[in-house]
Amino acid sequence: MKFLRLIIKNIGRNKRRTLLTVLSVSVSVFLLATMQAVVAALSSTSQTPGGEYRVIVKRNTSLADAMPESYEQKIQQVPGVIAVCPANWFGGIYKEDKPFYTFAQFYVDAKTIFDVHPEFQIPPEEKAAFQQERTAAIAGKKLADKYGWKIGDVIQIRTPYFPLEARLILRGIYTGPQEATFFFHRAYVEEASGRPGLVGTYRVRLDSPESAARVMEEIDRMFYNSTAPTKTETEAAFAASFVAMLGNVKGLITGVGLIVVFTITLIGANTMAMSARERFTEVAVMKALGFRPGLILTLMLSEAVLIALLGGVLAAVGAKVFYQFVGMGDMMALFLQNFKINNVTILLALVASALIGLVSGGIPAWNAARIRIVDGLRRVG
Amino acid sequence: MAETLINLVQVTKHYRRDTIDIPVLDNIDLEIARGEFLALMGPSGSGKTTLLNLIAGIDKPNSGRVVIDGKDIAKLNEQQLAKWRARHVGFIFQLYNLIPVLSAFENVELPLLLTNLSKKKRREHVMTALSVVGLEDREHHYPRQLSGGQEQRVAIARAIVTDPSLLVADEPTGDLDAKSAEEILDLIKRLNEEFHKTIIMVTHDPRAASHAHAVVHLEKGLLSKTGGVYEVPAAHH
Repeated sequence: MKFLRLIIKNIGRNKRRTLLTVLSVSVSVFLLATMQAVVAALSSTSQTPGGEYRVIVKRNTSLADAMPESYEQKIQQVPGVIAVCPANWFGGIYKEDKPFYTFAQFYVDAKTIFDVHPEFQIPPEEKAAFQQERTAAIAGKKLADKYGWKIGDVIQIRTPYFPLEARLILRGIYTGPQEATFFFHRAYVEEASGRPGLVGTYRVRLDSPESAARVMEEIDRMFYNSTAPTKTETEAAFAASFVAMLGNVKGLITGVGLIVVFTITLIGANTMAMSARERFTEVAVMKALGFRPGLILTLMLSEAVLIALLGGVLAAVGAKVFYQFVGMGDMMALFLQNFKINNVTILLALVASALIGLVSGGIPAWNAARIRIVDGLRRVG
Repeated sequence: MAETLINLVQVTKHYRRDTIDIPVLDNIDLEIARGEFLALMGPSGSGKTTLLNLIAGIDKPNSGRVVIDGKDIAKLNEQQLAKWRARHVGFIFQLYNLIPVLSAFENVELPLLLTNLSKKKRREHVMTALSVVGLEDREHHYPRQLSGGQEQRVAIARAIVTDPSLLVADEPTGDLDAKSAEEILDLIKRLNEEFHKTIIMVTHDPRAASHAHAVVHLEKGLLSKTGGVYEVPAAHH
């Protein structure tokens, strides 16, 4: 602790340079924290509460292909199946075709959606109002909060896939998982689009997670020789395959994150090297006074780590504020339901920044520790 | 007869630049008594700073023995030498070499950070050292806020704060005006006379050397008189 003041004084030696270094570390660690949170969110899509009780039936060819609505009754007959809810992606545009107005919309069977997703928390009167009215819709609380929706609001969504501008009335706001999603009646779209009778996916609720393998096999076998064979997956696998459609996103994000960290480490190393060079004579004097090479190494490494940690703390606090308090997290959560800056992300940010400090300060500190006193004292200024 | 503090025996030092061997000190023998105030003089490149560095334990000879207070410091490794210097040697440099981001107090405290003294004790020692050099009222001043003479006084306080037996000064007045130089030399002399510090001072300046008890001349790596016999200025006799 007695050396802390010396370390802090040296950090404050060139305030502008220190500030810029702290900021550059913080920006890179902020990016890293964001990327880590995205990767974590992508990984956790399979961890939706109650997800182990659900399987998803889709076409074996592509999510873009549909199944007949007659499958619903057949799936319902499979032992172990409690409820089946047809669900189609609507992909409509709310207000403007901009990312801010983009959110997940599904038209579903309003009766069975809550049987398949019992974890959705909604007041009984709102649930009843939604189920009774064909133009009714429900929204997750995050989504409603984002757009300032209230019960009774009319929400208009147009879609390029149908000659239809859905005019829906918000009858309920639910809490629980998937709070950035919007559901409305399948019957409404069916009627408005000429009853094509096609279903994108069936969400199937099971009696127990142990039934999953058998039920999936039976469903796929049932439709194997039909015109629309299926591929049934657990919800986790479905989510994972959905993510996989984006390519190796996790790998890409992790790669970009590592490149950012590597780049900032090089910049940090250059800064520390400059700082060490400027103090060549001072280090020699300190060594002459009796400071051992190990202590010089420790002091200079501590400086580098402290500077980087300052950046890390700034990044962690910044990410927390930016994504949670300012509300940017809600925007991210529209695309990644579980996106959040949690303690693991903050810990990662701090560890990453400490490592940046250690690696960037390593060589300059090592060189400083090895300065020959006579060489250092010979140099003037 | 005064007790010998420093005994150099057949000390040779040469530097290597690329493939060229540059001899600096050649078989130097020198004895310095405890409590001595010795000036090392000689032209540039004569090896006086190198000799001072060897005595201060910041450089090692190629051959020979550098015995300080009975210990051959040429045999110590880097760690042992660092510890030895911290306990036994105080340094005074021509350019003061204070740490610019530390206050006068913190600069003087620097060597004490290597000891186990409590914060309170460190403060006591620092204030004592600053009072010896007459700068106890400047403890919060930074080097840039001090004159050259004051900076050198702070450097001297830093040199004596651990109460070393040996002070080495390399051109301590080389960067000062005549008045400040005289004050610094008086202070160094006082450290020798009142506090019984053994002082070895490298200087070009005969006036500075005249404050010493004895003067050793170095010429091309050789002492001016065989066996390290001092030329004693007449002013002291």
